[in-house]
Amino acid sequence: MTLVLEAAALGILTGGVYALMASGLTLIFGVMRIINVGQGALVILGAYLSFAFFRSWHLDPLLTLVITMPLMFGLGVILQIVFIRPLKTDREALSVLVTYALALGIEGALGYVFTTNYVQLRAWYETASFAVFGFHITYVYVFGFLLCIAILGALFLVLYRTSFGGALRATMLNRTAAQLIGVDVDRVSAIAFGIGVATAAAGGVVFGITNAFNPGSHYDLISRLLTIIVLGGLGSLRGAIIAALIMLVTEDITAVVISPVWATFVFFVILVVVLIFRPQGLFGVRVRDRI
Amino acid sequence: MAALLELQGVTAGYGGGDILHELDLKVEEGGVTCIVGPNGAGKSTVLRVVSGLLRPRLGTIRFRGRSIAGLSPRAILQRGIVQVPQERSLFATMTVWENVRMGAYTVHDGALIERRLQQVCDTFSIVRDRRYEPAASLSGGQQKIVEFARALMLDPALVILDEPSMGLDPKTRTTVFDTIRAMNQAGRTILLVEQNARSGLGLASHGVVMESGRIRLEGPGPSVLNNPEIGRLYLGATA
Repeated sequence: MTLVLEAAALGILTGGVYALMASGLTLIFGVMRIINVGQGALVILGAYLSFAFFRSWHLDPLLTLVITMPLMFGLGVILQIVFIRPLKTDREALSVLVTYALALGIEGALGYVFTTNYVQLRAWYETASFAVFGFHITYVYVFGFLLCIAILGALFLVLYRTSFGGALRATMLNRTAAQLIGVDVDRVSAIAFGIGVATAAAGGVVFGITNAFNPGSHYDLISRLLTIIVLGGLGSLRGAIIAALIMLVTEDITAVVISPVWATFVFFVILVVVLIFRPQGLFGVRVRDRI
Repeated sequence: MAALLELQGVTAGYGGGDILHELDLKVEEGGVTCIVGPNGAGKSTVLRVVSGLLRPRLGTIRFRGRSIAGLSPRAILQRGIVQVPQERSLFATMTVWENVRMGAYTVHDGALIERRLQQVCDTFSIVRDRRYEPAASLSGGQQKIVEFARALMLDPALVILDEPSMGLDPKTRTTVFDTIRAMNQAGRTILLVEQNARSGLGLASHGVVMESGRIRLEGPGPSVLNNPEIGRLYLGATA
């Protein structure tokens, strides 16, 4: 029983990190109706940026976020303006191709600069742990979880307490109506993409401390992130957070109770059952195409 | 009366094809101009070029004598033209109050926003009565009224309504048309596209019949409504 509770606690803590990475993805989908399959590569890029600052300046990996998040925000804005904004027709399908090309470009560039050898971010809290009610919890998971709460909290504050947040939510809910009340949806889209990419930087640093990674690590990551936002409901931030927690808690408990071999399978059973009864995901909105 | 809005030789469309062909149209200040016509005539396209959602390929669009062709929807909104689109356009998960407040998104004077909210509440009691409810919980007709309320938050000179009665039952439709009439009597100029030609032209001071991207007939609303040919073609009359 102790092992199960420990696994559940670890699942919640790591689920927070995935929630952060997936929230960027679902935010971008919500505002622009595009699936950014390059989000995994951007997470890995974020991890490598922290790695570069860590290696060159010996900065604590979490502290590097002060530099990498604004950098990644700016990069996201530029990527949206250069690659996404020009897509005027069939943007849903074309955006998958464009963002996949982006992912391959990032993978290639990282491979060129850092080689394809696995690396990992190092910090004192990577292996140090503390005991709570007999459980041993590694500091990095707690710090990562707190970071996610802080960033997601800030994101919710922006969304629900600012005029820009109102414009962003309006754009997510009805793009044409938002335009008609004066929202500059191009500007909102660029900023939303920037925020989504900045969350990738934050997710990347925690991912990089808890996992060894190389430029090709984004393939596994993006498949998990896409699964999370499908379960939570495309475009729903709340859904992404809850789905990430469900995924990680289920996998960790299954690994302890049954076997690590079945961990992913059990989660996918849950996913399929949910989609049978709610094709739009846990918090998604069902949309009928006009014919 | 003077023309508040004037389109001259406007050609516009989507992709490679043109929907509007050298269209000329005048909207008189203080009146209700209603455009009717069959599906595909280009009625909604006229509204889209006026509100900036679609750039015209050719021609001029003047509002109060100044060109607005090719301006962004935001710039056109700031000149006093507000459009209520055909489909439901409230932000479903926001409350009624948030939706109406969003109508003043481009206004940065807090006191002015509060004053407008007060005026809108006095005109549309549903805004105050249902203020905390999510917009999606309202009926179709109620949502349309709240859309009108949101449009008035900018105190616009011209209100553009794209098929406001679409999908509404007859009783609610009457309420919606009564509201449009009241907005006009309060001094708003209305440009209306309506599938329900009898109701639309019955309300209009100026009627326009469109066909294949061109104006086929125009004149005072009642005379267009009573035109035998138009009646036979579009209104289901047997004469």
